[in-house]
Amino acid sequence: MLDAILLFRDALYGTLVIAFVCSALGVYVVLRRIVFVGASLAQMSTLGIAVSFWLAGVGVAGVITTRPIVLSLLATLLGVVFFSAGMKRARIPPDARIGVAYVVAGSLAVLFIAKAAAGEAHDIFLQGNILGITRGDWLVLLGVTVPVLLLHVVFYKEFLFISFDQETARTLGYRVERWTLLLYLTIGLSIAFAMQFAGLMLVFDFLVLPAVTGLLMARGMSGVFAWAIGAGLTAAVIGFSVSVPFDLPTGPAIVAVSGGLVMVAWVVRRIRAR
Amino acid sequence: MSALITFDHATLGYGRRVVLSDLTFEIPEGDFLGVVGPNGSGKTTIVRAILGTLKPIAGGVTRIPQLRFGYVPQRDQVDYSFPLRVVDVVMMGRYDRIGVGRRPRPEDRERAMAALEAVGIRELAMDQLAGLSGGQKQRTLIARALVGEPNLLVLDEPTTGMDLVATTQILGLVRELHERRGLTVLMVSHALNEIANYVTRIALVQEGRFRIGAVDEIVTERTLSELYGIPVEVDSIAGHRIVVARRGPAVLKPDRDVAAGGHRGA
Repeated sequence: MLDAILLFRDALYGTLVIAFVCSALGVYVVLRRIVFVGASLAQMSTLGIAVSFWLAGVGVAGVITTRPIVLSLLATLLGVVFFSAGMKRARIPPDARIGVAYVVAGSLAVLFIAKAAAGEAHDIFLQGNILGITRGDWLVLLGVTVPVLLLHVVFYKEFLFISFDQETARTLGYRVERWTLLLYLTIGLSIAFAMQFAGLMLVFDFLVLPAVTGLLMARGMSGVFAWAIGAGLTAAVIGFSVSVPFDLPTGPAIVAVSGGLVMVAWVVRRIRAR
Repeated sequence: MSALITFDHATLGYGRRVVLSDLTFEIPEGDFLGVVGPNGSGKTTIVRAILGTLKPIAGGVTRIPQLRFGYVPQRDQVDYSFPLRVVDVVMMGRYDRIGVGRRPRPEDRERAMAALEAVGIRELAMDQLAGLSGGQKQRTLIARALVGEPNLLVLDEPTTGMDLVATTQILGLVRELHERRGLTVLMVSHALNEIANYVTRIALVQEGRFRIGAVDEIVTERTLSELYGIPVEVDSIAGHRIVVARRGPAVLKPDRDVAAGGHRGA
């Protein structure tokens, strides 16, 4: 069993990097009630990948087809700007806009991939190809996520304040819209890179479930972050360790463990409340 | 007393939609002003203009350069799903003083504790904000406003959803802060009866009409009847003013000058 896991150790390292960053940022995603913004950004990232495959299939050469991350990142960043700016000014309710973005991006991704000659299977968007992560891949992931996490450590109180009470932050001179854009950019950047390997379902899982576990278990913000990251890493290690030797799909195995951790946390919370 | 804020024929609104027009008044240092009006009348619009988060469509709103706000938002504007301790929430009032990217210092924590002491809930410092009662939450938000050492305290509907005891305690606390610290206070409320017995001046906002003056000048049967367009009676019980609407059809029409909204106060 250990040999099998060691064979895919680069994939495990990559999964741990994705689990760490998505679980940490997921605390904001859950607390700010933008869970479906996260899902929509992941869908837009998927659309970028699909367009890249389709362009490759129709003979377009260049960096946008050899490196799907380019279009994936572009689509995600467009989504970031779309969601962070003008949500309040629009006549359409924010959740409806999120829904439109989610379903349109998802459908377009399926349409593009259906006509892509690259031959990628549809379920790559749901399950990803986490076992295909190479040493170079996880080093790239690390190179993206370390600056993102450092940014969050340095500007922790700013991100917290504009998430908790925008109006008061504004009266103290905070440029709330710019801070919100920066927060969304860090989330979007992490999603775009994670999506290359983890797929929609696993990225969404890491953005939501570990944070929920953290909120159920901890009483303070630092505790929530610690529990969320811990839950994300635990789910990644257990899910990975179970899936490889037993030939199970890795992404769903990790999601199942994440779900189990949420249930355990919920039970613990209930017991504590008595 | 010098004016902290001056409205000079200011027209306020959102985009092309005018909410209040031609406002001219001042908020002098040491003032205790209540802004009263029904929901949707434009009270929050005035507050936003005062805080500088809404620019006037026309005219001007000027503030003295050294003005520091202590803002107490409506309680439901704060997200209680965040697992924050009371002292951490209060500390937020000093974030602009601490600086971007810097961590709070021990001195900031001491000041947060002192602010909690000032509002009478120092012992709750380590409690979760979400677990507090409505009155305690409001005291926490007032402490957060005080910890930034403001020279103008702005409270937006501080007693909404509170029972009689909590309402009386919060309004008493605000008056005490005004009297003891000489703090300039602006308090917004939809309940005239609640704040008429605490503030020294009142600004009434009603369907685009605006009138400001001393409480004795504004809280009169004639002025209120003109402003609201219905017969209003002002009584006194145990030294407290009580404003009630008389039953029956409206007999008074709004004063045209009042309706124009252009009034000079202060």
